[in-house]
Amino acid sequence: DNVVRSYKYSPLTFLPLTLFEQFQRAANLYYLLMMVLQCVPAISSIPWYITIIPLISILSVRGLKDLSNDMQARRRSDSEINSRPCDILISQSFRTKKWKDVCVGDVLRIHKDQVIPADLLLLCSSEPHSLCYVETADIDETNLKYRQALSATHNELTSNPSEEALGAFDVVLCEEPNNRLYTFRGQLQWRGEILPLDSEHILLRGTVLRNTGFAYGLAIYTADSKILRNSGKLKVKRTQMEKVFNKVVIGIVLCVLLAALLLAIGNGVFSTQVMRQTDALSALVVNSDAVYTGFLVYWSYIILLSPAMPIALYIRFELVHTVHSLFIGWDLEMYWQQGDKPAQARNTSLNEELGQVGYLLSDKTGTLTQNRLLFRQCCIAGDIYLMDLSWNPFSCGGLFMSAPALVDRLRRNQCPLSRQFFTALALCHTVMAEWKEQAASPDEEALVGAARELGWVFLSRARDFIVVSEMGVTRRYQLLALLDFTSKRRRMSVLVREPEGGIKLYCKGADIVILERLQKDCPYQERMETALELFAEACLRTLCVAVRSVPEALWERWNKTLSQSATMATCDRDVLLEELYDKMEMDLQLLGVTAIEDRLQDGVPETIALLQEAGIKVWVLTGDKKTAVNIGFSCKLLDPDSRIVEWQELQAEFDQRPEWGATFMSLTEHCRSVLCCRVTPAQKAGIVNMVQKHTSSVTMSIGDGANDVNMIKAHVGVGLAGVEGGQAVQNADFALSQFRFLQRLLLIHGRWSYRRISLFLRYFLFKTCSFALVHVWFGFFNGFSAQQDVSAENSLKFPELYHSGQKHELSSPLKLSLSLLYAVYASLVFFFIPFGVFYNTALDYQTMAVTVSMAATFTATIEIILMTRYWTKFNIAAVVVSVVLFFICTRITHNTRLFQQSPKDYYFLVWLTALLTAWTAVLPSVTAFALNVILTLHDKHK
Amino acid sequence: MLLKLGGHCSFQDFSEESCHGPGSDEMVQEENEFTNRPDNTAFTQQRLPAWQPILSAGIVIPGFVLIGLAFIGVGVALFVTSRSIQVLERDYTGDESGTPCASCANSNVQNSFGFCFPQSQGPVFFYYGLSNYFQNYRRYGTSKDDNQLYGVLKYFTSPSDNCAPYAYNSNNQPIVPCGSIANSMFNDTFKLYQTVNGTRQEVSLDGKGIAWWTDYNIKYRNPTNNPLKDAFNGSNSGLFYRNFLINPIYWSKPAYELDTSDPSNNGFVNQDFLVWMRRAALPDFRKLYRRISQDKYPDGLPAGNYSLEITYNYRVYRFSGKKKVVFSNVSWMGGKNEFLGIAYLVVGSMCVFMSIVMLIVYAKFKFPDEE
Repeated sequence: DNVVRSYKYSPLTFLPLTLFEQFQRAANLYYLLMMVLQCVPAISSIPWYITIIPLISILSVRGLKDLSNDMQARRRSDSEINSRPCDILISQSFRTKKWKDVCVGDVLRIHKDQVIPADLLLLCSSEPHSLCYVETADIDETNLKYRQALSATHNELTSNPSEEALGAFDVVLCEEPNNRLYTFRGQLQWRGEILPLDSEHILLRGTVLRNTGFAYGLAIYTADSKILRNSGKLKVKRTQMEKVFNKVVIGIVLCVLLAALLLAIGNGVFSTQVMRQTDALSALVVNSDAVYTGFLVYWSYIILLSPAMPIALYIRFELVHTVHSLFIGWDLEMYWQQGDKPAQARNTSLNEELGQVGYLLSDKTGTLTQNRLLFRQCCIAGDIYLMDLSWNPFSCGGLFMSAPALVDRLRRNQCPLSRQFFTALALCHTVMAEWKEQAASPDEEALVGAARELGWVFLSRARDFIVVSEMGVTRRYQLLALLDFTSKRRRMSVLVREPEGGIKLYCKGADIVILERLQKDCPYQERMETALELFAEACLRTLCVAVRSVPEALWERWNKTLSQSATMATCDRDVLLEELYDKMEMDLQLLGVTAIEDRLQDGVPETIALLQEAGIKVWVLTGDKKTAVNIGFSCKLLDPDSRIVEWQELQAEFDQRPEWGATFMSLTEHCRSVLCCRVTPAQKAGIVNMVQKHTSSVTMSIGDGANDVNMIKAHVGVGLAGVEGGQAVQNADFALSQFRFLQRLLLIHGRWSYRRISLFLRYFLFKTCSFALVHVWFGFFNGFSAQQDVSAENSLKFPELYHSGQKHELSSPLKLSLSLLYAVYASLVFFFIPFGVFYNTALDYQTMAVTVSMAATFTATIEIILMTRYWTKFNIAAVVVSVVLFFICTRITHNTRLFQQSPKDYYFLVWLTALLTAWTAVLPSVTAFALNVILTLHDKHK
Repeated sequence: MLLKLGGHCSFQDFSEESCHGPGSDEMVQEENEFTNRPDNTAFTQQRLPAWQPILSAGIVIPGFVLIGLAFIGVGVALFVTSRSIQVLERDYTGDESGTPCASCANSNVQNSFGFCFPQSQGPVFFYYGLSNYFQNYRRYGTSKDDNQLYGVLKYFTSPSDNCAPYAYNSNNQPIVPCGSIANSMFNDTFKLYQTVNGTRQEVSLDGKGIAWWTDYNIKYRNPTNNPLKDAFNGSNSGLFYRNFLINPIYWSKPAYELDTSDPSNNGFVNQDFLVWMRRAALPDFRKLYRRISQDKYPDGLPAGNYSLEITYNYRVYRFSGKKKVVFSNVSWMGGKNEFLGIAYLVVGSMCVFMSIVMLIVYAKFKFPDEE
């Protein structure tokens, strides 16, 4: 069948899968181990159900979140895709079924403009020679390709057009399903003949049938189709903070193990030295074996110190992340009214990365610019014409002319070059005349539109010919060959036979590529080059249009080689084709230059300036050069003394010497902005990877089109869902509608998110570690016997309440170690002040536990109060509720009545001790806070 | 700045538009079209009204001084109070010559030693103290059966595993009360005499209400059997004891005979037992033994010569522990505790010191030119 299942869970597999996924996290596994250990009575110090509660809750929260993601996003889109209609041949008649019903071996009928549901072997089509056109924009950059059925099947089916014949093909041998989009090898065994098949005969899933009435195809790969094979799994992106946090967790685990080991050794020594002699204790040495006792104690301590492992941090991490993501989506100032599109955090776990971005790598077209292209100027035969045909985007056939000189010339038929120029524009493209919607490439749309306005109307296209009306005269050009555009070639050509019989090659492409292929002494070349400069300065996108008259003999030779190449193996053929194309696209005569305006989006220069002020290095990666440079100037990316790197030159060097990457990066460290010109999509990803490899900063890439997808997948990816939408957004972590929203996303949401999370992390570490370490100090005074501190658990509950939506101060992960040190200090205070007070008194163990936990709660509360600089009603409520909750819990576990008896006054002592302890513990941070206040005041004075 | 509003024009535009039926419909539709528009609330836009405390040196430094002074005040009060508390401590371990009761450890009969006691202010508490004694050892601490101690007869015959190895004796007879804490109960007893004109006069001691209220009333319970003895030997208890219960190994008398003078002070609610069962936090500790009876000495213990008669049962010399007796009166802050007062003073003066440092820093920054 052809069912797409991008969802992960089914009712049966959900539990095992989610458990498997979650236990890949070290902390979860650790906690499971803890729980198992708690079940061993000999070592358990806390009942096992106390550990299982946080574990179960984190597992279920995470699991439910995954499940809802799965249900909502994936299943819905899957079912949408799976239930698209298609015609399947069932018992000699076509019936409309759903995509998911397609099986290997089914014969399908595809209508014009339908999306192809599976990889099909083309049997025949409505067009002559069973040709058909497919639009492959979803797969690669080239827009239109044609496919042709085997002549055997074509002949059979055209001579005998019946459903019966369609079902008569028996055996197709195919290669194993794979992800190579451009190759296919197989055989059709039919009527005793073996017919070889290649990618020419295959219609890929996801492509769209164009310009062809209908086509019949035999499904050969369904769920294994090449495009599905190709859609790699999204890499799970981990934030820097998470990496730091993981390191801290590992550090804590090691410390816990070490501390437990030391304490266990201490216990062993204690067992032999002290307990043996104490009658009351000697029998408690398990099996009279000090080593064994120490061994058991080791595990007990691991359990007891496990609160230092902040497992609950994961839950709260998720919670904070989710809330921050919601805030991003809720932000009205990132809402684009025209498109009714709010911002969207598609990946909820990368928020704090937004506050740490060091490098912003941006695509140019469609990202910095609007991607609404207007044909502005052109230069034909050295004369520059200003055109404002598209002043009104809805003008279609309107007769506004702002270049009367040009119209004059065209009308009077004075200048053959300008006629040819427009013929080239009308012929050399892949636009389909029937398309009602936008053309796949807005460039071509603008060019063809301009030609239409001036009288060269592209009427229709078929396999073999293109019909154009030239100033009212309809002419039919025989299409001999179409030399595709690729981002590597950066040009495309058509080879046509004119109605008069001559063969012409019309070529259009990037200036640099065309200029190096011109014939010698091309007329007007210098003036054209000046025009190019001019256009580029005006931030216009330029394309060169050229022509070549091809002698019949050359064409025949060339065509022969071309048809020979069709039988060759794919990779050899690609090389050969490239050579062939090169051979044909030479000795060109330059006709003219087009200049298309792509306006900058609103607020782009301001945004870039702001981001640079924020210390973000902005890189723009683009395919062209001069225009890019000028855009760079106009959007304040470059200032007059910037240097421009041409990637093509560097690429060769980098390939040879990878170590140069580091040198290059250290050079760019000093640059506020870098403009990479002449970069292909693949190189874009390469650059992003290089930047990532050589810096520790967070890199963010932003793009809008399918060619940016590789780049976006790299680190933090932002997709612009402007006019085009689709591909980029699908693969992005964040979706915005306008480039300028980046300001808010980075500078406001990112910064907040980062501040909140890092402060939260530090605070959490401080709290958990200081609590856990108290056990260690206590170990020294209770014979290293893994003491249980009941009320610490009570107080551990509260920080969750502290953290919902708070606004925190700046901090960096480096400060984590400082806060750990602070935790050590606090834990020393927590233990030794009560120790001093309780030493040699009648106060008992439980009282001491209450005192310590009370002090710890006070400390945590004071810390949070110090950290909060921005008090909303939620913060105040959270702090108050948590403190109140602590006292309620203490009241329940340590009844008030305790304090009534013997000696009556002990209540005071506990309070005084707790207060003193808490104040001493927070004294360093309070002092730091106060000094900070004083010093910042000083700054303000300045 | 003058803002000229084209009031007339815009008004007309508006009225014109509102006159057109379809036009206004379109407006409504347009409103509805923005379905993805986020809500504009204070919370979603993160514009909650908030209070941002702006602290200045003018608040911070005096704040520090005030807190410091408050701490010093509390510290002084604690220290003075602590100083006014009279404590008399006598080590009676008896393993060193020159100490009172120097030979106590060797003769396990009754010993006594004398001492002087100054006039006390307020009631006097009588403690016994142990050092180097790890009542906070974890396995020691859990070595009891709470159900048994709650008086549930079922657990008399089958004590919890926690009690091991003091759950059963070698003949598999259940031990009641089981566990290491109970087994190691302190069993020295003391009698205090005042020597008045050469005659010894016994000072009456009050052993009531020395345990925690919760322990006495909630946590610990005797079985309902009357007399209590029945619960321990099986008669009338409704249980068939295959094996007779036995006392903890170190105990010389059964639980129901801990206090022969007061039948209600026996079993698990015996005050001395309860005091012992409440574990000490640290290895050096004291526990309340008795109060000097308030009825007979309402003004505290008068000055004079006293002698203490000790029944020396509890062995501590094997783990180089120490035993002592402590007489102390109490104040609002409990017993003598100089540490807390000193700590308060230290922290308080640190705060004051810190505020001076801050003041200097502040002055340096505020008036840099004067330097």
